[in-house]
Amino acid sequence: MGDFSLIGKSMKRIDTPLKATGQAQFSSDLMLPRTLIGKVLRSPYAHAKILNIDISKAEKLPGVKAVVTAKDTCADKWGVFRYTQDQQFLPTDKVRYVGEEVAAVAAVDEDTAIQALKLIKVEYEELPAVFDIKSALESGAPLVHQDHPGNINIHVNIDVGDVVKGFGESYYVREDTFTAPEDSYFQGEPYAVVAQYDHTGSLEIWMPNAGPHLKAKPLSNVLKIPLNKVRVRKIAIGGAFGGRSEICPADVICAFLARKSQRPVKLVYTREENSIATRQAHSMITTIKTGVNKEGRVISRDITCHMDGGAYSSTGPIAVSVPFLCMEQAYQMENVRYNGYRVFTNKPIRGMFRTHGRAFACGVDLQLDMIGRELGINPIEMRLRNARKVGEFTPTKSYVASCGMTETILKAGEKAGWNEKWGKLPPYYGIGIGCNSVQTGFPMGIRGGSQAFIKFNEEGGITVITGIVDNGQGNDHMIVQIAAEELGLGVCDVQLINADTEVTPSDPGSYSMCETFIGGNAVRLAAQDAKNKLLKIAAEALKVSPDELIVKDRKIYIEKSPDKSISISKAIRIALSRNESISGEGSYWPKVDSKREWVENPSGQLSETFSFGTVITEVKVDPETGKVDVLEVTAAQDVGYALNPKVIEGQFEGGIAMGGQGGMLSEYILWYNGRVLNPDQLDYMVPLALDMPKINNIIVETIDPNGPYGAKEAGMSIAMSAAQAYCGAICNAIGVDIKDFPLTPDKILNAIEKKGKEG
Amino acid sequence: MRLPPFEVLEPATLKNALSMLEKHKGKVKIIAGGTEIVGLMKLGLSEPPYVLSLRKIKNMKGIKKNKNQIIIRSNTTLREIIESSLINDLFKGISQAASLVAAPPIQNRATIGGNILQNSRCMYYNQSELFRNGLKPCYKAGGGMCRAVKGANRCFSVYQSDIAPALISFNAKAKLEKTGSSRTVLISDLFTGKGENPHSIGENELLTDIIIPIPKGQYSSAYEKLRIRKSLEYPLMSSAVFMSGSMNGEVTDARIVLGAAGSSPKIIDKASKVLKGKKPSNKDIETSAEAVLQFIEVADNLPVPASYRRKMAIIFTKRAIQKALNDLRKDR
Amino acid sequence: MKKIMLALKINGEKYEISTYPNRTLLEILRDDLLLTGTKESCGEGACGACTVLLDGLPVRSCLLLATEAKGCEITTIEGLAKGEKLDPVQESFIEHHAIQCGFCSPGMILTARSLLNHNPAPTEEEIRFAISGNVCRCTGYTKIVEAVQALSNSGRE
Repeated sequence: MGDFSLIGKSMKRIDTPLKATGQAQFSSDLMLPRTLIGKVLRSPYAHAKILNIDISKAEKLPGVKAVVTAKDTCADKWGVFRYTQDQQFLPTDKVRYVGEEVAAVAAVDEDTAIQALKLIKVEYEELPAVFDIKSALESGAPLVHQDHPGNINIHVNIDVGDVVKGFGESYYVREDTFTAPEDSYFQGEPYAVVAQYDHTGSLEIWMPNAGPHLKAKPLSNVLKIPLNKVRVRKIAIGGAFGGRSEICPADVICAFLARKSQRPVKLVYTREENSIATRQAHSMITTIKTGVNKEGRVISRDITCHMDGGAYSSTGPIAVSVPFLCMEQAYQMENVRYNGYRVFTNKPIRGMFRTHGRAFACGVDLQLDMIGRELGINPIEMRLRNARKVGEFTPTKSYVASCGMTETILKAGEKAGWNEKWGKLPPYYGIGIGCNSVQTGFPMGIRGGSQAFIKFNEEGGITVITGIVDNGQGNDHMIVQIAAEELGLGVCDVQLINADTEVTPSDPGSYSMCETFIGGNAVRLAAQDAKNKLLKIAAEALKVSPDELIVKDRKIYIEKSPDKSISISKAIRIALSRNESISGEGSYWPKVDSKREWVENPSGQLSETFSFGTVITEVKVDPETGKVDVLEVTAAQDVGYALNPKVIEGQFEGGIAMGGQGGMLSEYILWYNGRVLNPDQLDYMVPLALDMPKINNIIVETIDPNGPYGAKEAGMSIAMSAAQAYCGAICNAIGVDIKDFPLTPDKILNAIEKKGKEG
Repeated sequence: MRLPPFEVLEPATLKNALSMLEKHKGKVKIIAGGTEIVGLMKLGLSEPPYVLSLRKIKNMKGIKKNKNQIIIRSNTTLREIIESSLINDLFKGISQAASLVAAPPIQNRATIGGNILQNSRCMYYNQSELFRNGLKPCYKAGGGMCRAVKGANRCFSVYQSDIAPALISFNAKAKLEKTGSSRTVLISDLFTGKGENPHSIGENELLTDIIIPIPKGQYSSAYEKLRIRKSLEYPLMSSAVFMSGSMNGEVTDARIVLGAAGSSPKIIDKASKVLKGKKPSNKDIETSAEAVLQFIEVADNLPVPASYRRKMAIIFTKRAIQKALNDLRKDR
Repeated sequence: MKKIMLALKINGEKYEISTYPNRTLLEILRDDLLLTGTKESCGEGACGACTVLLDGLPVRSCLLLATEAKGCEITTIEGLAKGEKLDPVQESFIEHHAIQCGFCSPGMILTARSLLNHNPAPTEEEIRFAISGNVCRCTGYTKIVEAVQALSNSGRE
């Protein structure tokens, strides 16, 4: 890699000072004049017909400025995909989960709004409901959506090679079923929307989002206003983790209230509403049948997965596919069949999640350990023998342009001391390994590309304009870092306008791990475009050709004679005095197969590149209590190139906390007839500072041929590999393979006791 | 989440406080640290017309030694108790229990009085109006059914104070005052055993003092708490042990009290008896710990299964006994 | 409900607020005084995003009746920096990448500030214990601990 001024350095992020002082504005912090407070009335039933809604008393309450129900909407059904249009944001006919939005009010203050909700009378006729996959699939089960027989929302079928023949040729075949209940995001910031709708018929709206452009279009559709009248604004965002991607009822409801009242409306969710009325993560039942040869190389794999999607489709086709895709990227397999089913139930809506599919990913990896045990092959060796390699194609025909999977396994293994520890640890100590891979985006049709603009001020400072959004992971800084590097400027010379749909060009969003790859590339190209124009001017002034020049430290130098230079601000002034405006434009469209479709055609280039990673975890289990002490975690990830190493480490550490410590030890949703029993951080056990172990971070760089400076992604894969490694380590520690996650102390203790009885 | 409407009463003296409690009997809730009552009000589980603050009353905080007892004023914060070397030296189990309550920011406000008088809890009860909407009220909510235990004829809510079991293991007492009179009772006598209404304290009474007798001779104590993470949570099961010993190494007295094991702290005499009058062997410790099972009530109304909590009652009692025994043996 | 006059001292400044008695300090800070640095992430005292210092000690402002804060020194995140100069804890958090989405940061920084005021040389265990009531969903806490350790005088360089 070249010698960079800023790229590759662990720089302080530009956005953190305002967060450190509390000056950063999140949606609920916004104070617009005369703002009304919005509140939502929610269904108390998991499944019921709406017979009548009487808002007359609520409307008359002094201080109430707007009440909305389905009658105020066009009652169109919306969906992420044309074939998944099943959600009205305020339902007309029936409610499908406890907490579903039924009506909403905007009032002068919160107490009035709450009082108004109490005055809305809704008549329901309760219907029988289904609360889990098995009941939903039973013949004769109540249907959540009439047009989805058997409550099957999505079925993804992928069939490559000949699995049956492959099993026939296998030396050893085994089949196991893995299960896990729902888990959830618990972003720091509860969902909140502020909307302002003025007499020009324009909507201005702020909310935590993972892609403002992907919020704007549906809002335009639902509100029936032109897209350029919808302005989703930049705002500080308190985490997303996959749960804030597509439009949700709160956005629409707040916009309707703002339109009706012609005043700004602020709708702030409680923690409970964030837990039940935005998104949750799917529960899963995954049956994995795997056949291997004598060397432990997977010959054939057949997977059936049922996911509990809740009451509406959301990103259903994506959710069903991603766990499979991550696995097929991570591991070689010639014969593989997948039947993924998303099932409707009368529960809150499920979406994509950073640790997507612990009952899938952990099942695949735990099974590799089990197979290895049968064959006398060490888990790390099993991974090495099956690891994806560069230049290969995945079963669904994605070309892998860069791959450091093997390197991450070896480096993690070395750092963690795998060979010294495996099979040699004292009783109830265990070591485990998990490998995974994540795509950098996926085909998104006309919204799959990112564009960026750069403009100069007369002093040579720039403003970068891009649709890239920052959920807290550091994307704002990444934009500035890239632009400043390319143009030889300092970070303080760069202003940033991003994630504002009125001003910024389209961008696919941050929820598919593609901001660095796609958005970052666009910024780089825009900066290079501007740079080329500057170089032309400087070349004239210095009487050389442009390719003899470099930019650095706010100057344009002749590379071979660095004392001959012209400052960037001078170059700009020269241009301006010639009545020439200097700016830069760049766009990047990933080379993916636009014909690839999740359900109809799950084949072709999924994303331009993939990250790969390995986590190794060491644990100690208390055999009397089943409690797990995590001793050390080593995470090695092929991120392509680390634009900002400390930022990458932060992603590793956060991923280990969410996927491993929380996802495998303590996070699960508890239910009572479709009601969430643990919607807050006390009873839904997200990891705390005392729970976290020592973490070793190993950044592996394979320098992707197409990523900006070779960068790929680092936000999601580690969370999954960590869950897998925690699982393997605990099962190794107790000598029992537990197939129901998370591995809470009671399950671990039961397994130990059962083994003791059998042994 | 908004609080229901109420008027705040801020008496400047204890006398005024007691007369306000008398005047508004049944309509007033006391706010000490506020870490419990504010949360309950936000959930709509408590809607008192009056909230009586202890803030202005002088001398409601403090830890004093008075001859052979320690007196802790009820409004003393957990942080003050944790930082008290007097409490740590004399009543290790109580100090440990205090340090394990929730997390430091809660400890900075929560008081010993508030911790003892906290309401019992249940996953099906401690929920918002959004959750409870459309559901029949349970026993604790004044209704006629239990969601945690099918067909139950009573409330199974769990009393989850960390401090109370430790205090009871030391035979601590509580002074309750009302206008015109006061009474001092064993802390163990403050409990009804009923989840619907766990405390037998009058609506016009104020807990003012916790009195802990300093045991004579050699003694030790321990407190073991089960929670899944290493901070923040209420106990899922806990065991407080007090032990006194003679010069020859025999245990002369033992008191084992379990917390989060029912709607009140459970004093397990049978377990204690196994240890007394001897130098307990490992077998004795096991037998003692196993004895707790008969006397605890555990339902599936907390975030981990009842079956697990039952097993942990034994394990944590065993560990608390072992700790106390080791300390006792060390001191000789 | 009758309105009351509430006198509070926040970040060294005196405020007189006419309001209802059933307000929490968090509501007064955010809604009345527009001090939005203090956040609400759960409203129930489980997460620490609402942390303010009350007479120097971290407390849950979402569980604190505003009337209970009378006569106390309240410090919010807005009160840490001295004009343009950031507090060393804030600098250290920025330097050590202890902030990602930033929602938990005000509460976390104040808790760390209070810890160092009372214990200038905390061990790693003591730091983790002090912040164990502050939930962070982004960082995994590693760099938060490093940021505080860097300010600890425990003989480490």
